[in-house]
Amino acid sequence: MTSLASFAGALTAPDRRPPPEFAGHAERRFAVYRNNVAVALIRALETRFPVLISLVGEEFFRAMAREFMLAHPPTSLLLTSFGDELPDFLASFTPAEDWPYLTDIARIEIARTRAYHAPDLVRLGADAFSALMSQGIEALRVRLHPAVAVIHSPHPVWTILAMTSGSQPAAAIDDWQPQAVLIDRPELDPLIRPLTLGTALFIEALGAGEPLGRAASTAASRATDFDLSAALAILIGGGLATSIHVFDGDLP
Amino acid sequence: MTAKTTFVAATLAGSIAAALGMVASAAAAPAAPQPNMDKCYGVSLAGQNDCAAGAGTTCAGTSKVNYDAKAWKYVAKGTCETIKTPKGMGHLKAM
Amino acid sequence: MTTRLPAGAGVGFKPEHFDAILADPAAPIAFLEVHAENYMGAGGRPHAQLSALCERFALSLHGVGLSIGGEAPLDRAHLARLRALIERYRPESFSEHLAWSSHGGTFFSDLLPLPYTPETLRRVGDHVAEVQDTLGCRMLLENPSTYVRFEESTIGEVDFLGALVARTGCGLLLDINNVFVSAVNHGTDARAYLADFPFEAVGEIHLGGHDEDMDDSGAPLLIDAHGSPVADPVWALFAEVIARTGPLPSLIEWDNDVPAWPVLRAEAARVGAVLTRHASSAVA
Repeated sequence: MTSLASFAGALTAPDRRPPPEFAGHAERRFAVYRNNVAVALIRALETRFPVLISLVGEEFFRAMAREFMLAHPPTSLLLTSFGDELPDFLASFTPAEDWPYLTDIARIEIARTRAYHAPDLVRLGADAFSALMSQGIEALRVRLHPAVAVIHSPHPVWTILAMTSGSQPAAAIDDWQPQAVLIDRPELDPLIRPLTLGTALFIEALGAGEPLGRAASTAASRATDFDLSAALAILIGGGLATSIHVFDGDLP
Repeated sequence: MTAKTTFVAATLAGSIAAALGMVASAAAAPAAPQPNMDKCYGVSLAGQNDCAAGAGTTCAGTSKVNYDAKAWKYVAKGTCETIKTPKGMGHLKAM
Repeated sequence: MTTRLPAGAGVGFKPEHFDAILADPAAPIAFLEVHAENYMGAGGRPHAQLSALCERFALSLHGVGLSIGGEAPLDRAHLARLRALIERYRPESFSEHLAWSSHGGTFFSDLLPLPYTPETLRRVGDHVAEVQDTLGCRMLLENPSTYVRFEESTIGEVDFLGALVARTGCGLLLDINNVFVSAVNHGTDARAYLADFPFEAVGEIHLGGHDEDMDDSGAPLLIDAHGSPVADPVWALFAEVIARTGPLPSLIEWDNDVPAWPVLRAEAARVGAVLTRHASSAVA
């Protein structure tokens, strides 16, 4: 084994002694590197998941982050993507089983960080939609801005977000209902807004490449209170689309 | 597919016209968004890759307890204590 | 010319200082440095800020993740991202570290030390040459701060860096805090290290703060934490180096416990004062 291989192996193996290749007393010295790795990776997660920290507290979060980092060490050198597996990790993380909504909160935070770094693309305004001819309109497809994401959850995630950010007092949630949110970055700051389930399904279907007519049918068949006009108003008023396509086949 | 959930061009065109009306009158402004998270939580997403040593020098690297899940007692001290999950929801699996 | 950076004071840019810097047109700052990896997203605030800053300041692009000392081949996708950044912002300098940070597909997010052997020299030399070929520019390589030394090392760090310059034509980024930290940690003499340093290759100087700790035997162990002002012995070494070389682009790194802008600005002003004092010194 090369020196770098044994060094790397000992970095994330807590009970492993420092490799023997070093001159002098190396225990505490090697611990500096172990610490640097742990601190850098835990800090990257702390930066990405502030709502989770607020929900479980710093101590719990750091201990959980350390276990996550040992189970899923980063493979990319861009730490902006580190933590993509955290929702799945949380779903089977026994100490967190009393809070099943943490998984969806983590998904929302991931969408938020992706929105933060998303490309700067021009958004379609209302005029692009007012120019549409009614003929063949159901076959039109839109491309959503890459910052746009929809997350719908069996848990009241919007209320939980509002309670952790302090915009609503934290309290027991008696009416535990599914909720959906829209993540977007209209300018430079990511924003999270509540959506009705129907609108969430509609935007999600559009994002998956479904034409307008099919996306509306999908949403209406799964959400009884689906309001197409309201959903389109969110799409148009929020500037969620970057282009409209009239042809079939894959979007370019 | 049922007729009720089939949207034809005429319906869609009408809905787009209604939506445009809502947008123009600002009635469609989606509900107030979350406050800016960067400001809210005092974090900056801009600088995750760094070249400095981690704070706390050697402690996190040497502390065995932090590596050992069995020795660590997870006690949450955050908002989740206040947001009471209804009975039975604790075992509800996310969809 | 070893660098196109101006021979003035610079600071590592922190996003929290963006508004303060823009509101401070008289800031004694000649250039800014950013970590390349933090600008590899597609768009949004990081690029909006960097574009605005490039209107006013010279830019040093400082990589922290390429793992140039690693055993694996260089990450081609990462090199392509670096190249795209360089084409977009045309920085006056690109630098990376004599260190490794990835192994076996895992990224450790730390600058880890290398054994200085002929084999390592060959590998790092090949990697530096590949970086320069791919990016189409000369790069600066930074001396590391280290906490352990490898028994198998047979080449001194200064000789190792000098050999890399000779092999690849690269320049060097001299981190004087790293020199001091490593010298204290290994019981060697920072001045002896600097006496032999190939200054003609130096294109930039780094200064930063360190923390003090102890090793197992109670000996001092300095940590390169970048979370405090530059220490007095490091200022003294910096003045000695500049007296010898004349002014060089010199940067304050402050990455942890980032202070308010006026504090960082004052550190940069102190750098500027040293450079001005030796403005007439002969370049080594």
